[in-house]
Amino acid sequence: MTIARTAGISTAILATLLSSVAHAEGTLNLLTWEGYADPSYVTQFEQETGCKVNATYVGSNDDFAPKLMAGGGVFDLITPSLDTTKLMIDLDLVEPVDTAKITAWGDLYPTLTSLDAIQKDGQIYGVPYTWGGIVLMYRTDAFTTPPESIADLWNPDLKGKVSIWDDKSSIYLAARKNGDMNIYSLSDEQIAAAQQALVEQKPLVRKYWATAGELVDLYKSGEIVISNTWAGNQASILKRAGIDMTEFVPKEGAEGWVDIWMVVKDTPNLDCAYKYLNMQLSPLGQCAIANINTASVANPVAAKSCMSPEQFVELHQDDPGYLERLMVWQSLGDRYEAYANAWNAVKAQ
Amino acid sequence: MSALRRHLPAVLVLGIPLAWIVLFMLLPYGILATYSFWLKKYPTFVPAFQFGNYLTLFTDPQYVLVLLRTIKISLLVCLASLLLAYPFAWFLVYRCRSAQIRTWLYMAVIAPLWISYLLRAYIWKTILGTEGVLNSFLIWAGIIETPSSIFLYNQFSMVVTLTYIFIPFMVMPIYTALEKIPANLNEASADLGLGPWRSFWRVTVPLSMPGVAAGFTLTFCLSFGDFVAPFLVGGPDGNLIANVITTQFGSALNWPLGSALSVVMLVVVLGVVSLGDRVERRSAAGGF
Repeated sequence: MTIARTAGISTAILATLLSSVAHAEGTLNLLTWEGYADPSYVTQFEQETGCKVNATYVGSNDDFAPKLMAGGGVFDLITPSLDTTKLMIDLDLVEPVDTAKITAWGDLYPTLTSLDAIQKDGQIYGVPYTWGGIVLMYRTDAFTTPPESIADLWNPDLKGKVSIWDDKSSIYLAARKNGDMNIYSLSDEQIAAAQQALVEQKPLVRKYWATAGELVDLYKSGEIVISNTWAGNQASILKRAGIDMTEFVPKEGAEGWVDIWMVVKDTPNLDCAYKYLNMQLSPLGQCAIANINTASVANPVAAKSCMSPEQFVELHQDDPGYLERLMVWQSLGDRYEAYANAWNAVKAQ
Repeated sequence: MSALRRHLPAVLVLGIPLAWIVLFMLLPYGILATYSFWLKKYPTFVPAFQFGNYLTLFTDPQYVLVLLRTIKISLLVCLASLLLAYPFAWFLVYRCRSAQIRTWLYMAVIAPLWISYLLRAYIWKTILGTEGVLNSFLIWAGIIETPSSIFLYNQFSMVVTLTYIFIPFMVMPIYTALEKIPANLNEASADLGLGPWRSFWRVTVPLSMPGVAAGFTLTFCLSFGDFVAPFLVGGPDGNLIANVITTQFGSALNWPLGSALSVVMLVVVLGVVSLGDRVERRSAAGGF
């Protein structure tokens, strides 16, 4: 009897614990990047709407699928980058967005709202939020003739002074160096050639950088002089630390990343979720994130109203052509594995 | 009811460890083994029974390469730990007269275990870096003129860091083994005419083998599964097997292949553990 009762009580306690982490009405649970639920605007949002916001932070785009697939139905909103959005849709983890409920939808860059990777069967599944280029940068004091090409990351004179992002995007980089501009639809041969180029580059590489902070540290501690970077982000941190950096779009072009808000399937907090999305696209949300992460934003109308003219130009919000010239990430679909496998093979060498 | 009450102690004594083993060992391993036969199919993977994942592991050179590298690094860590830990433990047991100093020295080895693993690995970054402590010292001492980049972001720095982190697991069992050797055995060996050097090799070393084997097993298994050191202090050639597994479960979303790799890793670890166990028992029986 005692055992039965104890078991009953434990089950009750367990159930209470579980339900407290599951969906709670009026509480938004975000799975997102640091900065995307910053107190500077979340506090105001909570006061105005009565919706409470909890944020769980991810370290990489790889965290979204495993966390959501593990089940539990905890999260309401997520912010994968454009290379992961299609996977979220195909995994059936997110639901379509009613763009009529997004006040600023018409103000967003058409290049972003028409992205293929946020659509399926004619429905929109994501709300573009921030974007930026994946460009190259170097320590200004380390070069007499400024580098201008991806090939400079393969310059033997820079042995041990180079770093590139530990990501499958290094395949995009190497492919462009090889002259293959169709970086999102590479053939097996082109991928193999990119892999070969990256293997040849290995002796020059000091370290593959995995996080923004790591890249900053590599420059700060004098380990490297040239790398790729998320435009604006790390260079501005380094400039504040007194290191003169120059960013440039290589003549082979630059990729573009976009972070997308997506609504987790069957969330009971749709009302709060849409309120949050609308706040994020308003001048309050857009300028806060532009300042926190030094990223360009998806709503140029909001940006114009809240940014200084200098910042507006610095973040390329004044020139829609800049965004269009970027080779914005596309979904690789079932070719993803070939790219990821090639990059893993490079690292295994 | 009363029968249950009567048997309750027995049920608890047997049941709790049994439930523990089933819940925390057999079940997870079973799930892992099951996944390893599944099939990767975009967007995720589907149930199947096939050996394709294992085949990939042995035909695609990247996995063999990383596996061999991981074994190499782990063995180097074991060797470095042994060479440092054995003399240290021997000194503590045989040469350190003051019990208080002995306790302090022993604690000095154990204490780092209380500090976060990440922090300890980070510290080595600041020591070995191009503008780090070691380089500054070497320049100050006039040994080198310009900072050298050979200390960090390569396999050397990984071995140094892992040795530092896991050496307590080598010191502890060796210290225990040495301490258990009765002092009169060395005296007897001296009485029978063996010099201190030969006594050491023929009495102390064989009798301490169980400790060495235990230390070796622990250190090897811990280094073998490490994935933080490659991430923090490893260079472009520093990928270890645990990093590959992380990738398969993360970005590649290929849990079947990741599971197959984990099973292979488990087999290697079990092999090392049973080998260590055999050495321990054989030397404990005096037949070394």
